[in-house]
Amino acid sequence: MTLEGRRLVCRYGPTRALDGVDVVAGGGEILAVVGPNGAGKTTLLRTLSGEKRPDRGEVLLDGSPVSGADPRWRGRVGLVSHRPGLYRKLSVAENLTFFASLHAVPSARDAVGRALEAVGAATLAGTRAEALSRGQSQRVALARSLLHDPDILFLDEPFTGLDPAGAAALETTLRARRTGGGVIVLVTHDLRRCLGLANRVAVLRGGRKVHDGGTGAADAADLLGFFTAGGRDASTTPSAGHRS
Amino acid sequence: MNDLRRALLIAAKDLRLEFRTGGRLPSMTAFVVLAGFLFGFALDRGLVPGRDVAAALIWLTILFAATAGAGRIFDAEEEEGAFRHLLLTPVSRPAVFLGKTLANLAVIWLVSALSFVSLTAFLGVRDPGSLAAHTAILLPGTVGLAATGTFFGRMSRHSTLGDTLLPVLTFPLLVPVIFFGATATARVFLERPWTEISGSVRLLWAFALGAVVAGGALFRHLTDE
Repeated sequence: MTLEGRRLVCRYGPTRALDGVDVVAGGGEILAVVGPNGAGKTTLLRTLSGEKRPDRGEVLLDGSPVSGADPRWRGRVGLVSHRPGLYRKLSVAENLTFFASLHAVPSARDAVGRALEAVGAATLAGTRAEALSRGQSQRVALARSLLHDPDILFLDEPFTGLDPAGAAALETTLRARRTGGGVIVLVTHDLRRCLGLANRVAVLRGGRKVHDGGTGAADAADLLGFFTAGGRDASTTPSAGHRS
Repeated sequence: MNDLRRALLIAAKDLRLEFRTGGRLPSMTAFVVLAGFLFGFALDRGLVPGRDVAAALIWLTILFAATAGAGRIFDAEEEEGAFRHLLLTPVSRPAVFLGKTLANLAVIWLVSALSFVSLTAFLGVRDPGSLAAHTAILLPGTVGLAATGTFFGRMSRHSTLGDTLLPVLTFPLLVPVIFFGATATARVFLERPWTEISGSVRLLWAFALGAVVAGGALFRHLTDE
């Protein structure tokens, strides 16, 4: 399974949030997307997930175009965003059962229990979302994204607000899904964590991809250079391109 | 799972939130009771019998209450960004619209019933006529109000004018609902035969179905980027 964004262009008014970005994420791979604020990371994630239609370019799964307008595509996608996206006056179990039912997950209540167990939040089932801490909300949001066992998981700053135990649980979950062959696209500011977790890192700056490489020792040094030295354009970088 | 079941899930969730938060209902309820109370005082029943004006005042009260509530239909969805996640499920956009409209309709129904009771009481209408006939008129009228309110309630979210835009957009569109609704209701109060009323009811249904179909078909333009 390969998810590909090809020559993606997204505009907000006169601003080009994405300016001809190419990215590829394979099955069993975690692609981290990093970059400074306003680099286009979240827009890239929203475009790949089908939430936002690109002004130009296309998103492909195994070579076939996919679109957020297609319910079958949405059924294969899971999302953890920087906002938890829970209904505050519903309990955790009610929130998750609602989303599981919309995904037509068989035995929704059992699936909710399993998902909460997987993220270490089983004790929160009866708690209203408004009473959750930021870290707890983030765990529940992760549980929701896993309810329908998606092939492709998108995460936007998922470590924000998580305590060390929560972050470790999330890392374990992501590694398990990577081993299971899923595609994971992770947007983060946390370079250290993404070097330890991802197989590949794409660096965005000003809506353009300025680096795309592995997370081995040499690549990590290269990557740090992009953060400290201002970076080069991916198209002119000898080390640029898809490396596993 | 079909879209109708998903729409019902969304409606059930909205109603659960509505009753749990006491969202729009208390303010809408207070409005219709106060409106009845004030109209009761403002009207000199020695000159104008309450029965002659009750229909128009009932429909105007329902319209104002429904419009005031429409701006808050999407509050719970936007509060923590839940709507984004709802839209990423396989539910179709018409089903989302239908679910939100059904929940809105249930709230408007409660408010309409209260408005009817409140105004007939405060205006001193002793014999309001056939309740079945009133129900047959209110049903299509409120379906039209609910669908229009849901659609424009979403649209106003995208506007810098916010809720201020709602009455500007909806009131002109809802003239047929008010006109045919008030006309038919007045005739029931005057105990006119159903043959004099059924034409207005058919037009109310035509508006209601048009609003539901058009809203469902166009809703994705208000949700998808």
